Amino acid sequence: MKIGIIGAGQAACTLIAELIRGQFDGEMLVFNGESHRPYQRPPLSKTWLTHPTETESLRLLPDPIENHPSVQWIQQRVTGIEPDDGLIVTERDRYSVDQIVLATGTRAKKLAIDGLPSEKTHVIRTLDDAITLHSALDGVQNIAILGAGFLAFELASSLDQPTRTIRVLAKGIRALPQVSVKAADRLLDATPASIRVDVTVERYDEDSAALITNHGSIPADLVIIAIGAQANTELAEACGLGTDKGIPTDSYMQTPHPCVSAIGEVSLHDQPHMKQKMRVESISEANDTATTLAKRLLGQPEPFNATPWFWSDQGELKLQIAGLCARTDEETVLINTETECVVMRHQGDRITAVEAVNAAKEFMAARRLFEQGPISLGSAIEAGSLFSLLQSSRS
Amino acid sequence: MPQLTCIDPNEQEIDVTFEPGETILQATYRAGVDGILAECGGGCSCATCHVILDATWDGTVEGPSVQEADMLSFAIDPTPHSRLACQVELNDKHDGLTLSVAKRQY
Repeated sequence: MKIGIIGAGQAACTLIAELIRGQFDGEMLVFNGESHRPYQRPPLSKTWLTHPTETESLRLLPDPIENHPSVQWIQQRVTGIEPDDGLIVTERDRYSVDQIVLATGTRAKKLAIDGLPSEKTHVIRTLDDAITLHSALDGVQNIAILGAGFLAFELASSLDQPTRTIRVLAKGIRALPQVSVKAADRLLDATPASIRVDVTVERYDEDSAALITNHGSIPADLVIIAIGAQANTELAEACGLGTDKGIPTDSYMQTPHPCVSAIGEVSLHDQPHMKQKMRVESISEANDTATTLAKRLLGQPEPFNATPWFWSDQGELKLQIAGLCARTDEETVLINTETECVVMRHQGDRITAVEAVNAAKEFMAARRLFEQGPISLGSAIEAGSLFSLLQSSRS
Repeated sequence: MPQLTCIDPNEQEIDVTFEPGETILQATYRAGVDGILAECGGGCSCATCHVILDATWDGTVEGPSVQEADMLSFAIDPTPHSRLACQVELNDKHDGLTLSVAKRQY
């Protein structure tokens, strides 16, 4: 069997590694539209920006996997797929395959700001983005980050220097809306950035090097747009297999076309934890969808049944989230000490996510508990910690 | 270059060279040592890069942080010499270090 994998990020690489480990008897053509060997994205906004070492340390695949005889790397951008004929079309060539895997991931959402020159506009998603941003930092005193999610504050911590002022500008009414108010407060206590909420940017004024907003003029030698990601669904859309919301698949990562699968952040599928179909952006999603597809391709299909998890480094603090919740889910604080903070998000008695700040044990206990089934808010409160609840569930 | 010796889950012994400053994860991953998953890519967030250092190296390698120790308590069958490969930074003194990769990461 010949598999054409489009994309070379986390999901694609996990699929490749899992297929090789599972003694896959076939060939893989991997289409990498970037000019770098497969690399890890999470460090780009964290350690890499403060210590931009050689890209070697970011490599995603070990040599024996990357150079495996069953893998052929094709450094070309795919421009179309023809599923009925098993064809992958690039700028230069056409490749015939038996299975097409869309692992096209997401890209940074852009925002056009009137008057802002392109050399002052940055996003951070790819290694090239990070390299461009890093090379533009010399002498920069005022940085404005549009967007107030994890990425914005990771960047604020990484870019912080005594001579620099970093301002995070939120469109909404609060920063870090992905997490509870309590967890956000903890994380934001430590941020070097100053935060403005409810900001609407009108334009950029080149003469004063400032963003003109509804809150007046905000100095910005450089602007980073960190307002989220958009799924790369164009290839699927062109043949009726997706919309801009994602590429729908079943629980085995198969699209309605028998020869096309979709994994990673583009895949829109049933999330058992959320009891609904959705697209999830996280490393766990990339790994778990890739593993599910690998099992099917190796002839041992098992439906996707993973609980998502996330993490983010915010300066010295580590946020880890087990599960996934809606922004409107209630919040109840479980632990709040000088060093740790654990907040449960829930719908009634059913816990949907556990947000742990510097509380790795609670995070891991929550992951293990989610594997066993739903977690009851009442039981967690009674036990005093998720770790105790896990222990009592095992005894 | 300094090197360490890894015993993978299939009892295969593999010599891995390393650059001082690298973590055990970076060195072993590059060499393709089997059995280290590192789902989170080295962020001390998944406990799937569990390795067991040879006991003779006690005291030569700085002990785990609270965060790492907490994560390790969720690894499969942790021992007093267990570590997360992503959290151990290697230096010249570690030339000759021997470690085993945990039999299972989850």
